Amino acid sequence: MSTTSPIPPDLPSGDEPGPPRRRIRRPPRPVLRMASFTMAVLLLLGVLVARLWFLQVIGGGDYQERAEANRLRTVITEAPRGAITDRNGAPLVTSREVLNLVAEPSQLTGTKGAGALRRLSVALGHPPGYFAAKVKKSGESRPFEAVVLEEDTTPELQAYVEERRAQLPGISLEAAYVRDYPEGTAAAHVLGYTGPIPAEKAEEYGSRGYLGNETVGRAGMEAEYEEYLRGIAGREQVEVDARGEVVGRGILSQTPPRPGQTLRLSIDVKVQKALEAALRDEVRGSGTSTGAAGVAIDPTTGAVLALASYPTYDPDVFQSGSPREVRRLLTSPARPLLDRAIGGEYPAASTFKAITATAAIESGLYKPGEIIESPGSVVLYKTRFKGFNETDHGKIGVSEALEVSSDTFFYEIGDRSYRVRGWPLQDWSRKFGLGRPTGLDTVEGESAGLVPDLAYKRRTCDRAVDPINCSWRPGDSINMSIGQGNVLVTPIQMAVAYAAIANGGTVVTPTLGRAVVDADGRVLRDLLSARAKRPLGISEQSLRLVRTGLRRAANGNGGTATPVFGGLPEQFRVEGKTGTAENPSGIDHAWYVGYAPADDPKILVAVVVERGGQGANSAAPVVCRAIGAYVGFSADTCGTGAKVN
Amino acid sequence: MATFPGEIGGGSARARTQSAVAGLDWWLLGSAIAVSGFGVYVVRVATDGDIPSDPGYFFTRQVAYTLIGLVALFFTLRLDLERLSRYVWTLYAMLIAAVGIVLVLGSSARGSTRWIELGPLRLQPSELGKVIIAFVLAVIVVERIRSMDSARLSLFVAGIAAVPAGIVFLQPDLGTSLVYAAITVAILWVAGQPITHFIVAGTVVVTLVALVLYILPAAGVNVLKPYQVDRLTAFVDSGADRSETGYQLEQSKVAIGSGGAFGKGPSGATQTINDFLPEHHTDFIFAVVAEMFGFLGAGLLIALYFVVIWRCLVIMRQAHTELERLVAAGLTAMLAFEVFVNIGMNVGIMPITGIPLPFMSYGGSHTLTNLVAVGVLLRIGRRGRELGPRTR
Repeated sequence: MSTTSPIPPDLPSGDEPGPPRRRIRRPPRPVLRMASFTMAVLLLLGVLVARLWFLQVIGGGDYQERAEANRLRTVITEAPRGAITDRNGAPLVTSREVLNLVAEPSQLTGTKGAGALRRLSVALGHPPGYFAAKVKKSGESRPFEAVVLEEDTTPELQAYVEERRAQLPGISLEAAYVRDYPEGTAAAHVLGYTGPIPAEKAEEYGSRGYLGNETVGRAGMEAEYEEYLRGIAGREQVEVDARGEVVGRGILSQTPPRPGQTLRLSIDVKVQKALEAALRDEVRGSGTSTGAAGVAIDPTTGAVLALASYPTYDPDVFQSGSPREVRRLLTSPARPLLDRAIGGEYPAASTFKAITATAAIESGLYKPGEIIESPGSVVLYKTRFKGFNETDHGKIGVSEALEVSSDTFFYEIGDRSYRVRGWPLQDWSRKFGLGRPTGLDTVEGESAGLVPDLAYKRRTCDRAVDPINCSWRPGDSINMSIGQGNVLVTPIQMAVAYAAIANGGTVVTPTLGRAVVDADGRVLRDLLSARAKRPLGISEQSLRLVRTGLRRAANGNGGTATPVFGGLPEQFRVEGKTGTAENPSGIDHAWYVGYAPADDPKILVAVVVERGGQGANSAAPVVCRAIGAYVGFSADTCGTGAKVN
Repeated sequence: MATFPGEIGGGSARARTQSAVAGLDWWLLGSAIAVSGFGVYVVRVATDGDIPSDPGYFFTRQVAYTLIGLVALFFTLRLDLERLSRYVWTLYAMLIAAVGIVLVLGSSARGSTRWIELGPLRLQPSELGKVIIAFVLAVIVVERIRSMDSARLSLFVAGIAAVPAGIVFLQPDLGTSLVYAAITVAILWVAGQPITHFIVAGTVVVTLVALVLYILPAAGVNVLKPYQVDRLTAFVDSGADRSETGYQLEQSKVAIGSGGAFGKGPSGATQTINDFLPEHHTDFIFAVVAEMFGFLGAGLLIALYFVVIWRCLVIMRQAHTELERLVAAGLTAMLAFEVFVNIGMNVGIMPITGIPLPFMSYGGSHTLTNLVAVGVLLRIGRRGRELGPRTR
């Protein structure tokens, strides 16, 4: 089509040949210019294709993951914790579903978010900045995580929030579970409490599959049996859009929540409450007591029937109490969080005499049938050792000595133990389980007590001031024989020691957990049967003599606790021992350890009442009430025994 | 003046239609219609869930825009550029007036306005202005290239272009004003203006950009609005940019990258469907294509654009008159620039300037404009093919 015709008529006039100009224009080279234009376009399109190749083919996998991360959300559904029941299935702790008021920090930005938080704060009767401060504080430790503004909301609050959804962006009500305590504060120290994962253990829990904001057992049974009680949260994977709303295909994968299993304790709530009430009454009634504790166990199995410490606390405070209430619990001088039944160390006092007696017979320090002069006081090593009230008991055997709780009888035994080779008192103390934790199934809080020996003396004496005290001296043995000096025991240790006498010579491991059961009550795991037991190694003869002594101490004419237990019918016959622990800082601590029925012991109770005075007056009535609650006699029957002269 | 079949009057309507389309560059028309049709389809699948009460809202409108554009295209086939060149200053004045009205209305309203509301219609004069400015500049160059000193001509043309481009920039519509600049450069380049002009202009532009984006803001003088600066600099490092623009670019890259080699299909393109990708029917429609149809689909689309631009270049080379060559150069530059800048911003190698993708992005004014431009090019092509390029 190209034309070679002369200049067409429609050329601009300037193109016509004219006189030469001063400046000669270089003729434009349109072909070159157009070619370079084409090259530029090709180059740029090539760059686009290269970039596309880089994004889609080389980097495609990465971007696919990020697209998936965009559209997939994991929705966590909390699972309820398992319940905790008593031995008969009566619930002690249950999980209740509640609605928490939750804030999503990422959606609470700007003035709109601040306004929502301020309105909520005011509506709920808080200062205007209350919730904003909460969100800010949480953001510092756990950014991007939802913040619980208010737990266990009331129906009124739920209605308030539901009606104002549009004005409260990022605020929602989310289902959660809280712990309920049907029996109130009963067995608080046993049950323990739950709480958020402590920051210092976040990693440890994380490795066990916990989410950062889960509630875990922090003390007592809640902590000890966490692995069974724990509910495993359900996870749902859903597809969302850019606004975070679930779209189209909805749930993509689902792991349903798995509720925790039920923990059945060996506790009998009836005995537990009787023991707690008796301890409380005793402490309040004494006017001087600062606290008390008691343990009831099945002496045959070691199953703990009741375990109580006074003063107690409300485990709900850790869940819904204000920080001030929690702080008050933690700092109270009465130490309500201390479980005195397992963590309180007291001089064993006269309850130790059963151990001294056993040691004496078994190691030949005392020949069965031997009569020992037991006056009001004795002088040994130029030191005068007084008996209790300086009562002269005359010439008595070991059973009578236990009955009347003669100190001078046991001073003599203590002196004999000093003069033989070896350490019969220490050895037998340890055989009975003293000087170390009993192995109760509780995560922490159990004290070891103290069985004093030469090593202890050397460890604690002051060589510069009192070098002679760095050796084991006769007075140490003499004092130890009546459970004084440096002997320290916990109520649970005394319960285990006496259980070995009651059950005919087996040292049991006390156990709070009985079984893990499923929703239908089927036993999934037996927590009790496999617990360790070991023979005490006591002879029949020793056992008979000691038990006779314990029976007479509770029932005999001169028995220290006969006024308390002497009136009980034969089938509930109690055997036991009083103790009155010298307290250098005030009124004596009162002890009683006893079990019943004597012929076939079903329950053994050890009680200590701080500053309670004499064991017979203060601790023994508590034991009587607890035993009565279990074997079935009225508390009124306690204290109907004949008065001892 | 030579006559050619397309301009023979009379005859039946059928004959007129036949003669109207006879001798057209079917490659250009075909590829432009193919891309437009694909664009309508992508608008449909990308916006399916955007307006729940009317899933076809954007689709039906884009279909209408495309049909209007095609009608305009066929009218344009009859447009005599030589005759129109007599009204060049009238056209220029109308363009200034139209974009000026938008600027005035826009400043009285809040924020930016790019439209004139005419009842239900919203016209964006700056779009059609791209074709007009290409024509105006081509006429000016052709009339003066032999008579005017080359430096003065370059400055004169740049000044003529700068008035509407400046108004559009103030609307503010940075992207469209850049298209005006691209058209101007292409016309001057193809007209054979000395290379030194382009070097000088390039140096000035680089200096100005550095001043506006980095130096003046550091001195406390803000020429651009902050969002404009964000958009212009986001592509350098979108990950570090927490602004809306950085988010857009990041989501665009995720959409494109996740499409992989073969795409996720229209129903699996979650970046688009679940709204993570903003503006997925307008500025970021290329990312939708890349997510749904992968490297294969996106590459094919680029290939179609290559066909469009290749035919435009051929038409430019074969143009019968210098005026037509320069108009073709301006319109080709417009299309090529828009394709490159839009896809470039989708894939993260160009700043986000709000330039729609020709024949693909949803929107009435630019759909109309691009099809009109194709019409102009088709006519130039037909004349060039039938009359041949004129030698000097």
